[in-house]
Amino acid sequence: MPFRLEKRPAPSRLMLYATPFGALALTMIAGALVFSLIGYDGLAAVQQIFITPLTSTFRWQDLAVKASPLIIIGVGLAVAYRANVWNIGAEGQYIVGGLTGTWVALATHGMTGIWILPAMVLAGMAGGMAYAAIPAFFKTRFNVNEILTSLMLTYASVQLVYYVVRGPWKDPMGMGFPQTRVFSEAARLPNMIPGTIVHWGVPVALLVALVVWFVMSRSVFGYRIKVVGAAPKAARYAGFSTNATIWLALLVSGGLAGLAGVLEVAGPFQRMVPGFPTNYGFTAIIVAFLARLHPIGVIFAAIVLAVTFVGGDLAQTTTGLPSAASGIFQAMLLFFLLAGDILVRYRVRRVSSQPAAGVRAAAEAQP
Amino acid sequence: MTIGLLIAVTMTLIVASTPILIAALGELVVERAGVLNLGVEGMMLIGAVTGFITMFTTGNPWLAVLVAAIAGLLSSLIFGFLTLSLSANQTATGLALTIFGTGFSALAGQSYSAMPVSLFRSVFPAELTTHPYLRVLFGYSPLVYFSLIMVVVVWWFLKRTRGGLILRAVGENDLSAHSIGYPVRAIRYGAIAFGGAMAGIAGACFPLLLTPQWAEGMTAGRGWIAVALVVFASWRPFRLLAGAYLFGLVMTMELYAKAGGGPLTAIPSELWAAMPYLATIAVLVLISIRRDASTNAPACLGKPFLPSN
Amino acid sequence: MTLSRRNVLKIGGAAAALPLLGQKAFSQTEPLKVGFIYIGTINDNGWNYAHNQGRLYMEQELGDAVESVFVENVAEGPDCERVMRELVQAGCKLIFATSFGYGDYVIKIAQQFPDVKFEHATGYQRSENVATYNARFYEGRAVCGTLAGHLSKTGKAGYIGSFPIPEVVMGVNAFVLAARKVNPDFTITPVYISTWNDPAREADAARAMIDQGIDVIAQHTDGPAALQVAEERGIVGGFGQGADMSAFAPKAQLTSIIDNWGPHYAATAKAVIDGTWESKDSWPGLKEGEVVIGDYNESIPDDVVAAAEAVKNGQIDGSMHIFTGPINDHTGAEKVAAGVTLTDADLLSMDWYVEGVIPPA
Repeated sequence: MPFRLEKRPAPSRLMLYATPFGALALTMIAGALVFSLIGYDGLAAVQQIFITPLTSTFRWQDLAVKASPLIIIGVGLAVAYRANVWNIGAEGQYIVGGLTGTWVALATHGMTGIWILPAMVLAGMAGGMAYAAIPAFFKTRFNVNEILTSLMLTYASVQLVYYVVRGPWKDPMGMGFPQTRVFSEAARLPNMIPGTIVHWGVPVALLVALVVWFVMSRSVFGYRIKVVGAAPKAARYAGFSTNATIWLALLVSGGLAGLAGVLEVAGPFQRMVPGFPTNYGFTAIIVAFLARLHPIGVIFAAIVLAVTFVGGDLAQTTTGLPSAASGIFQAMLLFFLLAGDILVRYRVRRVSSQPAAGVRAAAEAQP
Repeated sequence: MTIGLLIAVTMTLIVASTPILIAALGELVVERAGVLNLGVEGMMLIGAVTGFITMFTTGNPWLAVLVAAIAGLLSSLIFGFLTLSLSANQTATGLALTIFGTGFSALAGQSYSAMPVSLFRSVFPAELTTHPYLRVLFGYSPLVYFSLIMVVVVWWFLKRTRGGLILRAVGENDLSAHSIGYPVRAIRYGAIAFGGAMAGIAGACFPLLLTPQWAEGMTAGRGWIAVALVVFASWRPFRLLAGAYLFGLVMTMELYAKAGGGPLTAIPSELWAAMPYLATIAVLVLISIRRDASTNAPACLGKPFLPSN
Repeated sequence: MTLSRRNVLKIGGAAAALPLLGQKAFSQTEPLKVGFIYIGTINDNGWNYAHNQGRLYMEQELGDAVESVFVENVAEGPDCERVMRELVQAGCKLIFATSFGYGDYVIKIAQQFPDVKFEHATGYQRSENVATYNARFYEGRAVCGTLAGHLSKTGKAGYIGSFPIPEVVMGVNAFVLAARKVNPDFTITPVYISTWNDPAREADAARAMIDQGIDVIAQHTDGPAALQVAEERGIVGGFGQGADMSAFAPKAQLTSIIDNWGPHYAATAKAVIDGTWESKDSWPGLKEGEVVIGDYNESIPDDVVAAAEAVKNGQIDGSMHIFTGPINDHTGAEKVAAGVTLTDADLLSMDWYVEGVIPPA
């Protein structure tokens, strides 16, 4: 073997931030090749999916609206994953947040008042938190794997949506279609910029990312999350309770997913429909990883994903690419990114006849 | 309920459970080796589309199952390479594999949507397969018997062979297994490849066993039910068999109740659909409360293997 | 490709609005760009496939005068608003939104682009530049029900639906009303599976029905799954939904209800080109050729085919309407008096079952 991987003494910061860009570049190259090979215009496809949505200003509003729920959920997941708490049920928490927000909107239907939207937002966050509290409780009390419980709960929540829109919350004037009535004016998230579709969820998303970044980098809370995640033993010596951190991580990520849910239902949807679950919660997992679990990075990662969604639809009209293609591009992006992780912790060395001394010792110091 | 109807319900539920059982058996071995592969749904779709295309072009169901197994296996190696050789996060890699499988199968199956194939039928003589009573034993596709044989094989392998012991040791404590000198990565590669092949076959069950056509996304979330089932069965093959048929019963009872009428129709269909997932959470909690060491999750489940040398 | 695809085109051609023939030379200016959005993929063997066939028919019929693009797998929600805006930006002057859940967004986007015409399938909200359209599928169901009434041995049919929306309820009712005209004891059991596209579940629903004595199956979900089970079990039969599905079930498909959107798409595009387009609700059926009854299975006796044809022709010439009273509801109470015909508005909000339906809980 002419090359071998050597463990770095410390993770490379350069690689940590360079690999996402490398993954993006590789995805475009590989995507262009693959789709050319199977008979599409690969270059045009890559251009439509990754470039065109960015270069035309009128599409920025689409990107902003598509990216904002991904940012809000992704930021929460970044916090949880930093703490080594694997909440993959953000989709379920997003859905329940949307449902509790809808409940407030329906209960106040026909009323006016500036308090209605804030009440919906609080209900949405509470709903997301409550749904995330289930895996938190089981994890801290009975040591049940949170990956499994949060995932199972997601599927149950989708059924809950179907049930309420078909049953108790069905629009009485909706010709029997399974959906709730349209929210009253007071329960709708207003547009921020007239003439566009940009709603107040967009600045909220940016604000959430900034606040969480600040908290994570400047506060004891953030320090504690990182220590518990990176070195649980050291955290115990420092007196940080693992259980409390698990609770915090799940409540923060669940509450933010719930916030994204209620903003989405009050903004772009304005009523609850069976099509409300659109996998934002799963896509946000990709976003969090692409962002290297960094709150500011989440903003950019969410935009990248939003670009592939907007561009994917665009490529259908211009190059006749089937809708399946954008999924393949997203999967490739994630594959390359995850493969690139290795470069953060290892470096590629040409093998000399003598093994480098000291590498092993350095490697052992690093968990 | 007449005997005839009882037999009919039994047969429908067994057939409906079979793909879930096969996929879950594969995932069980993967998880016992300490790896959580959430790409089951994606691998199943890859198996479904490759199995369908093979069946459509050759008409040979055995070959279709083989090709689906190979396709599932190959796709699982993407997961294996990333998580084992490159120590990537298993959750994210598994999700990426599901996204990939969904997209790949849709693309590969594009021009096969309006094409019929025939089912993979029972190989027993017609007197047995159509006999009013004996058909409950003989009236199935070879895929159903395959799933049952594999339950025994997986149980026997895990419980009675040295290889199974090593595999479980790797799942319980990869670092110790590594320090004793077991090839942790190679063993996990093997487990993942087996899981991939089984998911591929499970996918092929859709066009070959359930409904002889190709439709995009035709597994409709059953890969996730398979993941739930492994946990529901607390990582044990015979419980998996019982769990798969229980899930199958829940899924088919609803339809029989609706088609035949009766008190069960009062349960909302959404509750029926959510039941497997809720039951899985309940089982997870129960086995954790009992703290029965033999039923606990493999200790290394989902964690990356990072040996120091 | 398959027979079914060709059949759609062939029948579409035969049923084409005749005035369109020979008018391919009217394009002096640049072609009208027409956009389509589909809820699923064009390969679903069902709803979206049929709409896409309609689009191809329109292109073939109007030639250089039109140009069309489509976007598939567009979710009912904010995504469809974006996609419609993209289509407008791409120069589309006519957009067909082919799923009910697009409605809110069609109205919204139409306000922003008053010079673009929108057509929303199965919807009910209209505005200056938004029209709605649908097809009278229930007319086809009445023909199928007639066949079922004659052919069924057990007198029991099953009906696989996704959700109990009026469109589906109407289909169940039309089917059993027609069947009971032949066999007064005929019953139908609707089973709702809460999904439009899970073929394995459709197949299991069909098995559950057949195991409990149902020998004719109709379905309102996309795809041939239920029909294939009917073929495998050798029951009396079922019906192709949306397209001819005889390739999947040569014995079991008694006939098929073919969604033939092509003539509507061609006529609408032509109206936009000619400047005669106006916002209205169009709900054509058998008469206009938007709903087409496919070939009858060869195994069906001639007198039964004749009875089915009589129902079909009665609806075409207007001498018969399946929702003409007396009609009782499922409890046996009279709902529609003798001689009274339900209005379109009644039909579009139908949420009750007629006598003979075994209602779901």
